[in-house]
Amino acid sequence: MRLRLFLICAGLVVTHIALQVAFSAGPAAPDLLVVALLLASRSLGSAGGAALGFVLGLLEDAFAVISFGANVVALTVVGALGARTRDFFVGHSIPFLAVFLTLGKWVRDVLAWTASDPASRPPWGELALVESPLLALYAAAAGLVVRLLFFRRPLVR
Amino acid sequence: MAGQPKRMREHRKTDVLLAVGVILGSLIVLNLPPGPQRTIRHVVRETVLRPFIETNGAIARARERALHFDLLRTQMDSLVAPVAARRTLAEENRQLRNLLALADRESHRVTAVTVIRAGTPGAESTFHLDAGRDGGIEPFNAVVTEGGLLGQVQEVFSGYAVGHDWSHRDFRVSAMTPDARAHGLVEALRGGFREQDRLVIRGTAYLSDLSPGDEIVTSGRGGTFPRGIRIGWIAGPAEAWAGWSRSYYVEPAVYPGAVTHGLVYVESSTDTTVVETDSVLSPDQADPP
Repeated sequence: MRLRLFLICAGLVVTHIALQVAFSAGPAAPDLLVVALLLASRSLGSAGGAALGFVLGLLEDAFAVISFGANVVALTVVGALGARTRDFFVGHSIPFLAVFLTLGKWVRDVLAWTASDPASRPPWGELALVESPLLALYAAAAGLVVRLLFFRRPLVR
Repeated sequence: MAGQPKRMREHRKTDVLLAVGVILGSLIVLNLPPGPQRTIRHVVRETVLRPFIETNGAIARARERALHFDLLRTQMDSLVAPVAARRTLAEENRQLRNLLALADRESHRVTAVTVIRAGTPGAESTFHLDAGRDGGIEPFNAVVTEGGLLGQVQEVFSGYAVGHDWSHRDFRVSAMTPDARAHGLVEALRGGFREQDRLVIRGTAYLSDLSPGDEIVTSGRGGTFPRGIRIGWIAGPAEAWAGWSRSYYVEPAVYPGAVTHGLVYVESSTDTTVVETDSVLSPDQADPP
């Protein structure tokens, strides 16, 4: 992974933790953790992406008393799958990145829901059809802003 | 050159196998027993997340000091008269209890805490307190605010504790009306959306007719929650089991998302009144035929 990408992803992770833990932003802030993971996983192998997702999942689950490990599983799988997309899609065009981040966030939420305790998770319809798509679009928008602001290489439009 | 694709294939195979190994590791974490899960959470919170948690607490304290000064002054002023009246009332109560040979009411010591909430997924219904074992806090202590009951402590560590609020699926509290004409068990009821979550009191007697606006407080039964803490107000009927019991929706007195400061009852309560064995009543009067 390039140093620039590493620093940007580390910055996204720190910003996410600051927003969610220090400022309790909740869904008002985009999921920068999954944006960092998806951006980084494109430069890592499947194992690297999975390992990064595992570590980020442990950070995310530090306050989860009921379904500890659900975010670990979700982010690990998303990290591994994100790395595999390199074999099928080349380049970082805006449309690709938008779809990649949106789908990545949605899959992450659905996986976390699946691994969560059935008695405490929200209804499937609420999560998969209402909440998660909106949050996924929000995360993708944040990811695109990051891409436009900080990545030196020009985007292929 | 001919061996390069083969090496790449082997590298890719190793990569995939390692990824599968990490995914299996994540599944192991998901299925760990509660003890090791608790240890992992504690280590992460006390290392990487510690500065962020401290920042959250500092922000909450600063916000309270800055924004709620006038409110606090009003609350303090409103307490002056009741506190002054309580001194004579307490003495009268003590004399009356002596006359009836009743034991003293159990007193409760409280610890003031800052309530910290994380916005991470999975942390819903959970809060973090900035005082722990060293502050006398123990698991299952009640956490209240000036409005009423917030929740209950679950995990206690040195320097901090973790609890869950009334919206948690495991939350239960014995409840009653202040005049004790109706008793029941209050629990959280999941709505179609999280915003529709609310409390419901179950198991009240079928003939107990509660009206919207009636106050519901803790009854003290079970000894976990002290008697008399406000839970909320009756919002309307929920369901009825013909001839047996009724349930009512309860509008909560405290909305957990807005809480930044609370009190923990560090001494758990037993049932409120204990009758001494050498009662002033004769055995015949005490046990009517």
